[in-house]
Amino acid sequence: MVDVREDILARLLVVVATIPNMRSAYRNNVEIAENQMPAVIVLDGDEESDGASDVSMKRSHRPYNVQMTPGIVVQVQDANAALGSIITTFRRELIKRILTDTELNEQIVKTGTFGNGAIRYLGCQTDVGWTRTGYAALTAQFLFKYTLQPTQL
Amino acid sequence: MIDYSALLYDPIYDVLGVPATLTAGASEVELTVIDETRPKTETSSGVQASSVGPGVYVRMPEFAAKGIAAGEWDGALLTFNGRSWIVRKGDVLGSPNGEDLGEVRLSLMEASGG
Repeated sequence: MVDVREDILARLLVVVATIPNMRSAYRNNVEIAENQMPAVIVLDGDEESDGASDVSMKRSHRPYNVQMTPGIVVQVQDANAALGSIITTFRRELIKRILTDTELNEQIVKTGTFGNGAIRYLGCQTDVGWTRTGYAALTAQFLFKYTLQPTQL
Repeated sequence: MIDYSALLYDPIYDVLGVPATLTAGASEVELTVIDETRPKTETSSGVQASSVGPGVYVRMPEFAAKGIAAGEWDGALLTFNGRSWIVRKGDVLGSPNGEDLGEVRLSLMEASGG
């Protein structure tokens, strides 16, 4: 059995958990307490395939091109004056680690000259607020393009 | 006209109020505050982060009696119930007898949280 989607999401959690000074890492945990921050959360992503645009008569279990866009949320509670640089540092580590992780790129998604997948950084959004100190969040999106092989599921 | 200071605020502050020290610049004054710290949630992309939003109520007449004008509380150090906080801002709440006889809600942050 090969489930590339699950392999990507599981590896993503491992990769983001290695970011320095991150206190906790979760997948699909949407309720974070202040003692758990800084926290990074991997949210299972929406997925689209080329099935709708495929006008060929190929058999239904032939491979599909799939694009998945999981969201990654970083939440920080710290001194208000320091939040900007803290969230920027986490963004930098996030992008660097995901786009350069060997297992994710070369074994799971299979990017590169002889692969047929791709990973792209799409962008990020930020939120700020007040709690007992300052609060900031960064949501980053990545696109994972891979081949779905129904016969291997 | 009902005297809300005598009939409402006096008994409430007698029961719920706690002593506090406000240090604003060179002046240090004793106040009575009501702790209004409440749970607070921030949500980003569907993920909730729960913490607290610290705050207190203070009576405007008490500020006036102690020589603290509106706005002078910004950045002041407020100590009560064993903790010290920095005042982020003050929202005047008013009263039926006018805002000068009402309350102000001070929003706080940890003294090391600026």
